[in-house]
Amino acid sequence: MKNKKNSVLVLGAGIAGIQASLDLAEMGVEVHLIEGTPTIGGRMPQLDKTFPTNDCSMCILSPKMSECARHSLITIHIMSNLEEVSGTPGDFVCRVIERAKYVDPVKCVSCGLCEAKCPVKIDDEFDMGLRKTKAISRYFLQSIPSEYTINPNYCLFLTKGVCKLCEKVCPTGAINYQDKDREIDINVGAVILATGIDPFDPIGFGQFGYHRYSNVVTSLEFERMLSASGPFGGHVVRASDEKPPKKIAFIQCVGSRDESIDKNYCSSACCMFAIKQSIIAKEHSKELDASIFYMDIRAFGKDFDKYYDKAENHYGVNFIRSKVADIVELPGGSLELRYTFENGDIQLEVFDLVVLSIGLQPRKGSRKLSEDLDIRLNKYGFCHSDTFHPLETTRPGIFVCGAMNGPKDIPESVVSASGAVAGAVKLLKLERHDVSKGEEEVIEKDVIGERPRVGVFVCHCGINIAGVVDVKNVAEMAKGLKNVEHSEDVMYACSTDCLEMIKERIEEHDLNRVVVAACTPRTHEPLFRDTISGAGLNPYLFEMANIRDQCSWAHMNEPEKATAKSRDLVEMAVGKARNLTPLKRLPISIDPEALVIGGGLAGMTSALAIADAGHDVYLVEKESVLGGNMRDIFFNLDGSDPQQFLAETIERIENHPGIRVLMDSNIGEIAGFVGNFRTMLTNGSGEQEELTHGVVVVATGGSEHKTSEYLYGRSSRVITQKEFERMLHEEKFPPGKLREVVFVQCVGSREEGRMYCSRVCCSKSVKNARQLQSKKAKANIYFAYRDIRTYGFSEQYYSDLRNSGALFFRYTPGNKPEVEMVHPDDPDSRIRVTLFDPVLEKDVVVDADLLVLAPAIDPPEENLKLAKMLKIPLNSDGLFLEAHVKLRPVDFATDGIFVCGLAHSPKDMSESIAQAKAAGSRALTFLKKNSILAEGTIAQVRKDRCSGCGYCEDVCAYAAIEIDMEEGIAVINDALCKGCGACVASCRCGALDLRGFTNEQLFSVFDSLEIEAVEGIL
Amino acid sequence: MSSITIEKSASKGINDLLRHLLSTGKVDAVLAMRMMPDTGAWDLALVTDVKNLKELKPLAPVMTVNASQVLSNLSLSGKKIAAVLKPCELRAFVERVKREQGSLENLFTISHTCGGVFPLDLVAEGKVDRLLPKYEKVVSAGEIPSNIRDTCKACEHFIPMNADIMVSAAGECKPGEGCMIYLNSDKAREALSECTGEHGSAVLDSTSLEKLATARAREREKLFSSIEKDCSGLDGLVNIFGKCVGCHGCSRVCPICYCTLCDFESINFDYNLPYFEEHLARKGALRLPPDTMLFHMGRLTHMSFSCVGCGMCSDVCPVGIPVAAVFSRTGESTASIFDYLPGRDVTEEIPVMIFKEEEFPELG
Amino acid sequence: MNKEFKPRITSFLCKWCSYTGADLAGTSRLQYSTSIIPLQVMCSSRVDPVFLLKAYLSGSDGVLLGGCHPGDCHYETGNYHTRRRFALVKEVFESLGLESERLKLSWISASEGPKFARVANEYTEEIRKLGENPTRKSIFL
Repeated sequence: MKNKKNSVLVLGAGIAGIQASLDLAEMGVEVHLIEGTPTIGGRMPQLDKTFPTNDCSMCILSPKMSECARHSLITIHIMSNLEEVSGTPGDFVCRVIERAKYVDPVKCVSCGLCEAKCPVKIDDEFDMGLRKTKAISRYFLQSIPSEYTINPNYCLFLTKGVCKLCEKVCPTGAINYQDKDREIDINVGAVILATGIDPFDPIGFGQFGYHRYSNVVTSLEFERMLSASGPFGGHVVRASDEKPPKKIAFIQCVGSRDESIDKNYCSSACCMFAIKQSIIAKEHSKELDASIFYMDIRAFGKDFDKYYDKAENHYGVNFIRSKVADIVELPGGSLELRYTFENGDIQLEVFDLVVLSIGLQPRKGSRKLSEDLDIRLNKYGFCHSDTFHPLETTRPGIFVCGAMNGPKDIPESVVSASGAVAGAVKLLKLERHDVSKGEEEVIEKDVIGERPRVGVFVCHCGINIAGVVDVKNVAEMAKGLKNVEHSEDVMYACSTDCLEMIKERIEEHDLNRVVVAACTPRTHEPLFRDTISGAGLNPYLFEMANIRDQCSWAHMNEPEKATAKSRDLVEMAVGKARNLTPLKRLPISIDPEALVIGGGLAGMTSALAIADAGHDVYLVEKESVLGGNMRDIFFNLDGSDPQQFLAETIERIENHPGIRVLMDSNIGEIAGFVGNFRTMLTNGSGEQEELTHGVVVVATGGSEHKTSEYLYGRSSRVITQKEFERMLHEEKFPPGKLREVVFVQCVGSREEGRMYCSRVCCSKSVKNARQLQSKKAKANIYFAYRDIRTYGFSEQYYSDLRNSGALFFRYTPGNKPEVEMVHPDDPDSRIRVTLFDPVLEKDVVVDADLLVLAPAIDPPEENLKLAKMLKIPLNSDGLFLEAHVKLRPVDFATDGIFVCGLAHSPKDMSESIAQAKAAGSRALTFLKKNSILAEGTIAQVRKDRCSGCGYCEDVCAYAAIEIDMEEGIAVINDALCKGCGACVASCRCGALDLRGFTNEQLFSVFDSLEIEAVEGIL
Repeated sequence: MSSITIEKSASKGINDLLRHLLSTGKVDAVLAMRMMPDTGAWDLALVTDVKNLKELKPLAPVMTVNASQVLSNLSLSGKKIAAVLKPCELRAFVERVKREQGSLENLFTISHTCGGVFPLDLVAEGKVDRLLPKYEKVVSAGEIPSNIRDTCKACEHFIPMNADIMVSAAGECKPGEGCMIYLNSDKAREALSECTGEHGSAVLDSTSLEKLATARAREREKLFSSIEKDCSGLDGLVNIFGKCVGCHGCSRVCPICYCTLCDFESINFDYNLPYFEEHLARKGALRLPPDTMLFHMGRLTHMSFSCVGCGMCSDVCPVGIPVAAVFSRTGESTASIFDYLPGRDVTEEIPVMIFKEEEFPELG
Repeated sequence: MNKEFKPRITSFLCKWCSYTGADLAGTSRLQYSTSIIPLQVMCSSRVDPVFLLKAYLSGSDGVLLGGCHPGDCHYETGNYHTRRRFALVKEVFESLGLESERLKLSWISASEGPKFARVANEYTEEIRKLGENPTRKSIFL
């Protein structure tokens, strides 16, 4: 019997819940994924594009959704709630209510006939009410699971006892009005909460006229308007007159940074969200004019400032720093905005559409959930977690990730999800496992050398296909194709009966290739592959013809042409099937040890996460002490003690039996690949040692930029924040009075040579300013800044500082504060600082006793060397470039290598801890396996044909192919190849091929396609 | 730029230079054109013994094979070789080095301003010797001889790019100027520091070549527009390539076709009977060997952006297809969309191996 | 010849974006021309320039290559290579005076069902105007 305690319950199936589930399942943990709505996916499917890459949201999410649905260790419970958690960490019992769906998911084939017939129209929640849906529906078209559900609040039969139309039209008898809610108890070792956020409802903001004015929309509604799959098919039009707007205003901080409604926090994502929307809107229509009304632009993430710059300077988005006082609707539906500039000037301007950039707020029901689960919320109603334990709730064994404990964007949510997993697995007793374990081994039939014997099954899909395509005709035609031994039409190819029947036919006709003409291979290929595998055929001897999604559904009014096309598609599939060969997924052994490079907070945290899960870790540090930058941090905004935490962490590291710390050590060379790395290390005394390990975590950190601006280095009164913090800690202030203290932000950040925001400096300066106030109550504080970027809950400390009387002076890169020594010959002279006050529109001169600079965070120079050794990329700023900025934020494209901490980008302690745990957790998804399986569809080299020219090596994004210089030929690393085929198409010599998509197979497809010549052309 | 002036004709001067390099042990071997004694036949010779140097005619307007092809493996042997290359051969070699088919490390590349080469049929007829005096006269007048390869007439890259050593051998010469040798690399300057002749500093006087450049440009336009006329559209292609006998000689002599085995001659394109049956069932007739157009167009996608226009392919075509003209014309277009110039610089990356994140906005 | 011209457009679609977008067009019941004959590849970068040539020379009236938007490639950089190779083939066509309109590259994301349907219809119309591919008639090629 399986140990139930080696399972985890994940609540909420947004991107965070999905990521947590996938990571756990990859480690061999059984996962129960609980979701309240009828689909997994959360908020991401509602988004059109994602910043700062403008990636299509659904494109990047849907592979993860399918993976989640397919994973044998993940059980998805849709329309379910978590009611109670009892027991102790490692042994919880969770009570879950699964609400009635009224449609049997086993029988439902997602044909949609029910929805078409259903007479009840209701607002579509997914499209923010901008479109109608029915009482029986799918949550959205790409829902997973794809089966329909009935909304009992609106269904005529369930509310009034009449109708039953859906039952009448359902071809599979899937409707079950008698369905009941079910209560189930699940025994798990840990719980991860990922319930996400709700968008702020601006209905209470009367001055903006939301709901009263039809052309005032929220940013989420606008997102649906932008989406190609949205209610307007991607054509942005105003609700009032269905005309495209020419001028759009975005109003920032609606429901954020607002003490009056008890939301004195920054929602962190809305600035970027608005910038993205303005760019996308301008891409829709070049003439469109977009203006963003803001207080500070908080583009603090990796590559965000470049995106902001692009919006302003390339796309011409107007950024207007001002407060919008109110909006008046004009006849015709346009909107007049009244807004105030910093200097008090008031302006009126008319826009066609106004988008309210609404903030993020705690989920409705989170109060009740917190009571049910006995966890604490913070004062804004988000789940509470502390600086050093950012992924833990107040109840041991229950972890939190995503935006549930504070506003986060997508990559931060993904990071926190993987990070939370690291906490959860500590409570489980995981063994290393074999990937194939659990699957029944069927002896595979050897088909090599056999003549192809193809079986064709053409699916009716009820009337979904057969209603348009003459299915019998197609099946009959297939009988005449070369190598086809058997062909028949079937009602539902994916039904259990039919799958059994396919197995029988394979036996009966000794089939060695199978073609199913039905729906899309994206959803059903795995199912059919499993089926033929069960009949002893290699799963790759299968091909699908998509005659539903890409034929009958798309050509509903052209039955003859659709039938002809179906015949072609089947012929092509048979053409390919004929040339299919069995493929093997070869196992790649995984060394159970990990190498962590960098002994700062991130490296140590990552090492602990891996070692706590039972794996040996080599922790390499080039210096002779652990702790990195954290050794210079003495205070936290929330009052917690960084030095105490650091000391505890170092003690844990040093006493951990699984961690070997290699101090004063330099890496000379890293060879190998996922599961099989070899690293040559040189220690302080010059001795060399070779380490073997399965994964690498890169945590090389960063350092304070060495500036020469603002008299730094020439005056004893000009110091950096790092130095200032130590001064505050040691209370060794400069001699004399400390009355006038000037802070200058963005020293080296956000300008030529370093076009990024260093993210932590605003909060750090606010923190140190507050410390100063507590120690020197009489000090006057002057803050020179560009945008104050105290995102998230740091906002409250910024407003505290403002309220305490500190003065803030915004400057621009062209108008930096000017500094000079009052007595130029005296290095201890006070510093005369000239600040321009944009409110009063005049210069303010301060003779500062101390000038505190907030320099940028620089990546270490040795990153370049490491990047070359590991064949991993750096971005233009010298920061490591992850595999995908949104959904793979700690992975590299090259498997088995992970990144965290400042090496990835500037971030604070909490964020470093979360990311370090995430890197550890991602590493464990490999380490917890004895071996992984290489892809089946990977490239292969015909050695005799290869000229060793290196085209392939250059185009491979995964460093999976290399020219062996001795032999002069390309060598593929099966472990790293992802099977895209970019190298194959680059190969001039025809020496490369992609298994499963060989030239021969693809040629045979379009040979089948060849068009008859018109008669008489000889 | 450092230079050496030898008070001899260019062809004698270059022989002195080679003798110096070989006799002082600066190189282990010399590669250059040779006229076989007594026969009047030509070949490319690799010489290690000084006494055989006299047979070499390094500047002869003959290309029996694009030297970059034979140089590939030689250059990887570890021996130091001085190779006398025509500018297009040098460019082709640079293209090959980019494809790991050779190395510049142990080479002294010697090239010269080029007046063009005779087609192989004239060479085969043994007429070169007889035609040489007139050729030299015309070339030194900065004009285009009428009997050289068509692509040579139209070649605008007759000044070598990045040769270690460059010899002035074409263009309007001033009488008695002697043999001008330009040294472009430290390697060359070091090896020739002791070479006899007047050492100095000079740059190639490009004004003396302007006339030739103008004439070449005019010829190029003429050649390309005639190709455009004859070889345009499917009908034009069928017209021109209809004569193709499928010998694939053009790819075999092509310096850019470096593949060990051409894909189009591989099993990938080796159809079996069922394939023919299917095609015949559809069309009722089939040209054999098949894939004539696929071969030529395929080759255009494989190598045209690197085509140096040496003209070997046209010369070996048994049925007189102007392959080189078609390929260098298309090559000029395909290279230009990537701002690429084949052979310009060994560090310039091959366009299909790289990309820019933002380019070709008109596509997609 | 009064037979109706039915364009045939060989469509190479990448698995992650364009093929998914085509599925979405179907799921959304968007109607488009039957001339589109889809062929799934793992990545648009799998499409060797020779495939485009072969499809053209075998008589496809149009050849459509669909991939993820630049920057969105499931395989990091595949579609950037696709774009260069496509530009190359198109240039070869143009320099030879062939109808380069018979080749089309389109970036269609997984959520762009409507775009897929639109591209399918617009391209079919363009090809219809262009007429039958002359390679259909030639046995020479």
